[in-house]
Amino acid sequence: MAGVTGELIGGPAVISTAGLTKHYGNVHALTDLTVDVGAGVTGLVGANGAGKSTLIKILLGLLEPTGGHAHVLGHDIEQQSQEIRRLVGYMPEHDCLPPDVSASDFVVHMARMSGLGASAARERAADVLRHVGLDEERYRPMGGYSTGMKQRAKLAQALAHDPRLVFLDEPTNGLDPAARTDMLRLVQRIGSDFGIAVLVTSHLLGELEQVSDHVIVLDGGHLLRSSSTGEFTERTGSLLVEVVGTETERDRLGEALAQRGLTCRPRGAMVAIDPPPPELAEGGAAQDLIRDVAAELGLGLMRLQPDRRHLEDVFLEGGTRV
Amino acid sequence: MSELSGTPRSGVIHDLGYRHFDGVREGTPAIARTLFVTGVRHAYGLGRSGKSKVMPFLLLAMSLLPAAIVVGVVVLTGLDSLPVSYADYTNQTQLLVSLFAAAQAPVLFSRDLRHRSIVLYLARPLSAPVFALMRWLSLAVSMLVFTLVPTLLLFAGALLAGLDKSDQLTSVGKAIALQVLLAAMVAGIAGLISSVSLRRGFAVVGSVMALIVLTGVVTVVQNIAYYEGDSESGSVATGLASPWSLHNGLANAWDAGVDTPAAVGAAWVPAYVIVALLLVAGCLLGLVARFRKVGSR
Repeated sequence: MAGVTGELIGGPAVISTAGLTKHYGNVHALTDLTVDVGAGVTGLVGANGAGKSTLIKILLGLLEPTGGHAHVLGHDIEQQSQEIRRLVGYMPEHDCLPPDVSASDFVVHMARMSGLGASAARERAADVLRHVGLDEERYRPMGGYSTGMKQRAKLAQALAHDPRLVFLDEPTNGLDPAARTDMLRLVQRIGSDFGIAVLVTSHLLGELEQVSDHVIVLDGGHLLRSSSTGEFTERTGSLLVEVVGTETERDRLGEALAQRGLTCRPRGAMVAIDPPPPELAEGGAAQDLIRDVAAELGLGLMRLQPDRRHLEDVFLEGGTRV
Repeated sequence: MSELSGTPRSGVIHDLGYRHFDGVREGTPAIARTLFVTGVRHAYGLGRSGKSKVMPFLLLAMSLLPAAIVVGVVVLTGLDSLPVSYADYTNQTQLLVSLFAAAQAPVLFSRDLRHRSIVLYLARPLSAPVFALMRWLSLAVSMLVFTLVPTLLLFAGALLAGLDKSDQLTSVGKAIALQVLLAAMVAGIAGLISSVSLRRGFAVVGSVMALIVLTGVVTVVQNIAYYEGDSESGSVATGLASPWSLHNGLANAWDAGVDTPAAVGAAWVPAYVIVALLLVAGCLLGLVARFRKVGSR
């Protein structure tokens, strides 16, 4: 499988892998993954079991790859994994907080386990807990925390030692919409304001569209695509049309347009029109045609807009290609 | 946030934004030391909830009480020797020592695995082998402290009573050396059991079975072999089967004042030492494998 290298935003790659492979017997968790990750926020997208967590664990040196190489912050994962673990933070997907310890004590302890001295660890813990938004509750045992507070505590321990790179595995898991938005905003701040490179995973594509500079899509252990978020959501050349009325009106318009040589398909209440043929593509001829057809049929035109791609489309394309 | 009209606000909270840490980062040995010290403190409930201090200190007080009485008797009546040897005192309080290990091993070995915070440790500089080793060392040293405190109390009493200093020093030295070996073995066994059975109750019961029940069975078999079966070597060989009988057998062979059903001859000493060391090494290997496996999940 060909490796796709994304654009790097200044400086050398934060993570670079070459032919990274991990097989558990017959289960192929990762297959020949070659990808580079730059600074800023990078989203790692894939369905459950696509190999996201496996990739992170290999990069941390917790799992040994079956084949291939990888470098994190310039260090080889097999030779210098201890050096890597000194410089990165990790927020796992699953619950990992002891219930009988307060977030404050826990983050201090975790900062010390990363090599900070006692007073530095206390200072950093207080700072980081403030940044993630845990206030008075930081002194309470974590067993009584809500899911949102637990996710914040997990994030705080990942940032406690001021890493240069953090791996955030499904940070929005189990959060309600408001907490989800907060968490995503925080992830974005880590990448931009804090200046820490972020590799964040999610199985929800829309989320990563909002916060990532760059997106890597994994499917069944294979790299589907790696490029900047802007490229993913660029215009596709397709058009979306919506008319007043119900599905009957939508279908009447679709059929009439199809007779004029446009390829149409229903999408919700709208008609999606594939990029028009060359003779209609020039100077908005297709838009004029749609307007005229709607007028002929006596339909009220509500919306006529260029379609933008979504990250979901990458999966659809990948699905048809394989 | 009360705004007093007319008075200008003097205190302003500045949002400093995110501050990077550019201070000194400690190396792996310093991190391992921190983990070790924290582990010893946690074994005694220090730095944890008040409730968790009850058990270790209650057991410690119970194991100190007889020593305090012995010291009182020796000092007041002017006996010319201690009524119990240092090594035998540890043996006599073995129930308390084993209970301490069984009760406190889950604190150090089960919690991180059960709550999966082990992953957070292993995503940091310490590797799984170093982590497992430090946890074991924490428990072993906690246990050594547990047996050492009454021993030192007895020693202080013996000196106060004016007993021969060099005799006592030799005797206490032997006892401490045996305690080191005992702590290494018992910490390994209790630690391994706690790291496999993650529910505290099962871990405690498992450790009690391995340390207390097994030792009882071994002692019974040793007595039957010697008194009923007339087999001295059978009795001594059975002593290889539990950490306490290893401790007592070596103490007997070393003339440290512990009686075993059959006297352990010099020929058996290498076997006892090798089995004890293999036991420690086996437990350590098991712990490393266990932590490594859970850490990669």
